[in-house]
Amino acid sequence: MSEEIKVDATMDLKGLKCPLPIVRVSKKVKDEMQVGQVLVAETTDPGAHADFPAWAKTSGNEIVKVEKGDVSKFYIKKLK
Amino acid sequence: MNREKIGTITDLMKSRLTKPMQYYLDLCTRCGLCYDSCHVYYGIPKREYTPVGRAETLRRIFRKYFRPSGRFFPYWGEARELDDRAMEEVREAAFSCTGCRRCMVNCPFGIDTGYLMTMAKLMLIGNETAPEELVILADSAVEKGKSIGEFKEGFKSVVGDLEKIVQEKLGRSSPDGLIPMDNGGASVLYAGLAGAHSIVNPAVIFNAAGESWSLSFFEAVNFGAFLGDPEKMQFIANRIVKEAIQLGVKELVITECGTAYRIQRHMLGTLPFKVSSIVEVIDRYLREGRIKVKAGAISEPVTYHDPCQLGRNGGVFEEPRRIIGELCTDFREMTPNREHNWCCGGGGGLVALDNEKFRVQSGLVKRDQISATGAKLVVTACENCVSQLDTIKSGYGMDVEVKYLTELVADNLLL
Amino acid sequence: MLDLFAYIVMVPMVYLAFILFVAGMVWKLVRVFRSPSITGTLGLFPRELPRPLAVARDAFLVPSAFRKDRVFWVFIVAFHAAVLFLILGHCELVWNIPALQVIPHRVFLGAGSVGMVMMIGTLYFLFRRFGAPVREISVPEDYFLLIILFLSILFGSILHLVDRLGIGAMHVPVQAYREYFAGLLTLNPRLPVMVSYSPHYAVMVIHIFFSNLFIMLFPFSKMIHAVFAFFAYSTARR
Ligand code: HEM
Ligand code: SF4
Ligand code: SF4
Repeated sequence: MSEEIKVDATMDLKGLKCPLPIVRVSKKVKDEMQVGQVLVAETTDPGAHADFPAWAKTSGNEIVKVEKGDVSKFYIKKLK
Repeated sequence: MNREKIGTITDLMKSRLTKPMQYYLDLCTRCGLCYDSCHVYYGIPKREYTPVGRAETLRRIFRKYFRPSGRFFPYWGEARELDDRAMEEVREAAFSCTGCRRCMVNCPFGIDTGYLMTMAKLMLIGNETAPEELVILADSAVEKGKSIGEFKEGFKSVVGDLEKIVQEKLGRSSPDGLIPMDNGGASVLYAGLAGAHSIVNPAVIFNAAGESWSLSFFEAVNFGAFLGDPEKMQFIANRIVKEAIQLGVKELVITECGTAYRIQRHMLGTLPFKVSSIVEVIDRYLREGRIKVKAGAISEPVTYHDPCQLGRNGGVFEEPRRIIGELCTDFREMTPNREHNWCCGGGGGLVALDNEKFRVQSGLVKRDQISATGAKLVVTACENCVSQLDTIKSGYGMDVEVKYLTELVADNLLL
Repeated sequence: MLDLFAYIVMVPMVYLAFILFVAGMVWKLVRVFRSPSITGTLGLFPRELPRPLAVARDAFLVPSAFRKDRVFWVFIVAFHAAVLFLILGHCELVWNIPALQVIPHRVFLGAGSVGMVMMIGTLYFLFRRFGAPVREISVPEDYFLLIILFLSILFGSILHLVDRLGIGAMHVPVQAYREYFAGLLTLNPRLPVMVSYSPHYAVMVIHIFFSNLFIMLFPFSKMIHAVFAFFAYSTARR
């Protein structure tokens, strides 16, 4: 994963309460992104590390990269 | 609307015809006593936002397909056919109702409008007009339950980072084991939420009390219930039940999430372990002397908002008051309170929807109630309530602070 | 023609009402009992009283109405208490019930006051529906039931009061009514002359007509609250 991923949009989800992170991300991906584009979601929620992959699986999108940290970054690629 | 769709929807209605549903559908005398029980009606005084107005939106359709009076004499009870317009109204009725059941207290028969709305919600699923947000959330939660194995490691590693925060707060020498997971033999399984606050503060409290506990992989909240899908609701709730049985815990402790508490505690029948709210557990620790708080640490005026699902629908009234009583010197009750407390407007999955203006309007009565106490700090014990109280606060520009009860306790522990 | 109508009301329609009432109630109850129960509870908190006591309190004291609308509460309680007396009164018209005669009285407990209370009650319920906000949630069923009930009580009260006060020497002995009911009960219907030739026979026919109508509608309308209320209370206090 050394190759730089082209990021098309970034979302700040820090400090949002349950269940807004997934709601916001899924809305954005569905309504505003093109297939193939990548969204970076920044979150402080530990739960996101299980919730985002589960969401990606049901919605048919892909998490191409996760940068873990105080603020974690999820690189989400829209597949359909 | 074509025949097939009507068939799908009426079949779904039929599948929800439980005993209580049968009573509630037939026995309303339309006396109007519940009329102004609903916080939504207080903020937006329209008939369709009254409890009986919502219920009648459903009943009119129901009568048309399930009762002789509606079939043969539709005018008698204003029975109406299913069409897109009717389903639009059903959606407005169901997804403006938080299921707070304040109307149930004020109905001479105890009709549970929130429960009636579960039928309405199921009809919307059949009509494919259920709120997309809730469908996604429920499906993700189900998926998480199915393939938890894939997500465990990612979650565990971030929880490891949280342990350092807990260590700092507790002043311990090592972070290891401060947030145990998969801890067979623990007596308590704790189900939190996605946010760090719902894990860190309870972790501080559990460690301070020397509890033998384990953090659940699953978030407590149940989007299946918000969506109104009984099967998903059951599946999502069972994820935690299974985990609790696997670990052999004696007690399942639910985070500050009213819905999760009510479902796990009151809607699943008998379980082989006890279900408690974190609020009850904190109260117990305090009374048993397992934790101590800085008595009277907070002198500004404080009020407590009874989350509907924890209070009138869950039975937890006095515990939070005892906890606050130890910490605060100027506690002020809202009027009314306890089982008569007004809903803040955040329940029923409504905070997940794109409806901020509506939620500010329907929060008017809560604004008025809080203002009347003069409190500067509003404490509550439900994630949805905190979100909604924050929305009300910014919507009306209120000069108050909203806090979780666990946060208040964790910040004022005597270690 | 009128005689035929009177006969139909006094005999076949009474049977029809009775059959519809019993069949309707049985059908309603069977359907409810066969519906699936729910897991868990829909009960409310706090639970200060044991369940049977809480149910009795909700049923007889109607606390929610007491809190919200004191006037309405007075009418609800008075009206429903009157319903009880009314049912007992009618039973005495059918059978001799010595237990009720501990305090000796002419048939119909309350000497006509029961009907008055119910008439005022139904009128109050009706007029209450003409005003906001109850008007907005009322449907034809609500008005029809109250009107039918009012007419039935009105003519029933006339029947009773005219007799009691001896207006125009109108009088039907209780014995004649008992004979009429006994005939109906033994499937050997007859109209005793004392009944059918009484000067206020027309009033009686009208009373029975509206009462039959009300009884027929009972299981199929919101009147089912008289039974389902107890199930609902029990659910709320579980
Ligand atoms: C548990 C007991 C019951 C409670 C709490 C109860 C409550 C009520 C209430 C609140 C109303 C007002 C409806 C309105 O605004 O119009 C009402 C109406 C009425 N009730 Fe009951 N009821 C009970 C049992 C019964 C029984 C046993 C009967 C009779 C057989 C009965 C007969 C009626 C009638 C005739 C009306 C007026 C009809 C109408 O409003 O359409 N109720 N009741
Ligand atoms: S349950 Fe709450 S939100 Fe729903 S109708 Fe009743 S009072 Fe209103
Ligand atoms: S208070 Fe109960 S019976 Fe009266 S209108 Fe409301 S839901 Fe119907």
